[in-house]
Amino acid sequence: MMLTAIGVELSKVFSKWRTYIGFIALGLLIPVVVVAMGVEGMKYFDFATANLQQMFSFSGNLMNGYTMSYVLLGSLYVHVPFLVTLVAGDILAGEATAGTYRLMLTRPISRFTMVTSKFIAVLIHTNVLVLFLAGLSLGLGVIVLGPGEVIVIRESITIIATDDALWRFALGYGFAALAMTTVASIAFFFSSLVENGIGPIMTTMAIIIVLTIIAAIDVPMFDYIRPFFFTSHMIGWKDFFNQPVAWSSALTSAAVLLVHIVACYVGALFVIQRKDILT
Amino acid sequence: MEPIIELRGLRKHYGSFVAVDGLDLTVQPGDVYGFLGPNGAGKSTTIRMMLSLIRPTAGSISLFGKPLTTHRSEILQRVGAIVERPDFYNYLSARKNLELLGRLSHADVSEKNIMRVLDIVGLEARAGSKVKTFSHGMKQRLGIAQALLHDPDLIVLDEPTTGLDPHGMVDVRNIIVSLARDHQKTILLSSHILPEVELTATRMVIINRGKAIVEGSVQDLLNSGRLKVTVETPEVQRAEQLLRESDFAPYVQSTGEGAIILSLLRGDVHLVTKFLIDHSVHVEGVIPVRSLEEYFINITQEAA
Repeated sequence: MMLTAIGVELSKVFSKWRTYIGFIALGLLIPVVVVAMGVEGMKYFDFATANLQQMFSFSGNLMNGYTMSYVLLGSLYVHVPFLVTLVAGDILAGEATAGTYRLMLTRPISRFTMVTSKFIAVLIHTNVLVLFLAGLSLGLGVIVLGPGEVIVIRESITIIATDDALWRFALGYGFAALAMTTVASIAFFFSSLVENGIGPIMTTMAIIIVLTIIAAIDVPMFDYIRPFFFTSHMIGWKDFFNQPVAWSSALTSAAVLLVHIVACYVGALFVIQRKDILT
Repeated sequence: MEPIIELRGLRKHYGSFVAVDGLDLTVQPGDVYGFLGPNGAGKSTTIRMMLSLIRPTAGSISLFGKPLTTHRSEILQRVGAIVERPDFYNYLSARKNLELLGRLSHADVSEKNIMRVLDIVGLEARAGSKVKTFSHGMKQRLGIAQALLHDPDLIVLDEPTTGLDPHGMVDVRNIIVSLARDHQKTILLSSHILPEVELTATRMVIINRGKAIVEGSVQDLLNSGRLKVTVETPEVQRAEQLLRESDFAPYVQSTGEGAIILSLLRGDVHLVTKFLIDHSVHVEGVIPVRSLEEYFINITQEAA
């Protein structure tokens, strides 16, 4: 029954045009960024390394497909959550809005099966979206800009060899998928509480924005609470681009995100199990 | 014979508001069971509890002789339902809606079966149209189609003709009668449209404020109690005077042009007719105006 329910949920999810907003947005954005980087990428690189140019000399294919994909991943992690919540925030609340809980739950399908199948559909949508982002940015980046060393510019510069890049991207995008799944799970939980799909989307985004702002303010008091924010752990994908990989930090962040995912799923299950269907 | 539906002491509270108050109800196989009550009487709440959409505060629900709490999936496999408004996935076609819902009911979702139920409700020509293009009446028909798709033994119809035009109402009534007569389905028909129940149901219960007021066969209930009768005569004044001076005086309700209205026991109708004829009153007609509507209003007013 679970497989049937998952199939039904996927059919519904992928029959809605809103599901494709994320794919369309990334499909338009990434080629534009790739072309822009191809044309003016060195200006971006010069700006980012302005303080170092007096001491070091950089040469080679600096703005290559891998570096571009790294930059893109870093800049999109604030925006991709919105695309993810479009589906996750609506998947339960949308049934309440449309009055179709009645159709589903008068069938021989348990509430556990319904919630779980919807959650799995959300996971699939989220992960396919991240996979699409990875495939398009890496694929298009390498085709247009060519492969090369990943230039990681943070407090210091780390240069990752071309041969050493792909497995790091695999893990980095895998972690990004986990982070986006966390966002989707939060939206999913809020979706179980309300009867309108807009609320969970707005609430999830508001939480991400507020926590990100608090985390960015350099006040000592926030140092104590910052590690408890899931947003602080969403950037754990960067650990895979350290030299060597910061495994401990990455695994801790992954564990924190997993706890959030499980808690949100169990929370939604609890809410729906007890819910009287009045819409 | 094992009842198809058996509710015992069913109760639902929302805080201090009592929506259903100790309802008992039994539906036998083959019944077209009218579930009547004014708006807010607790009909939909009861149906939602029967279909496990709402948790009862107290009481028990058994369908097909099995408790709903422990045999939910097994029971719902044998139930088709429309609960209030006919809401669907508007972005999908009628065919796709039925296919997805049918898969959740382990129904035969072949093109042939889907077209069979769409044909029953007269929607076969619109199978490929998105539901968002459907009128309310078409959605109501599609609601019946989804309830029939998995060939259930019990069909629960909650206000199935609400919002339909007269043609649509007749069509739905005919479908209900046909399902009971030709397909031996047991039907629970909730409605506040009384002629609908009068024309289709074999048994009925009237509930008000969450309680059953009266239960029995439609004919027995209509034949019990007082009956409103219009006696048509060109001699209204003389006939009224005779009746008011007789033992029938308490039963005279009103007089109008060419008619006197009396409230009588069914067995007294012929006595009044004979009394008037014996007094040489020209009686042109004796017409019972008692209907379910009249009965319903009386019984719910008495209960209030």
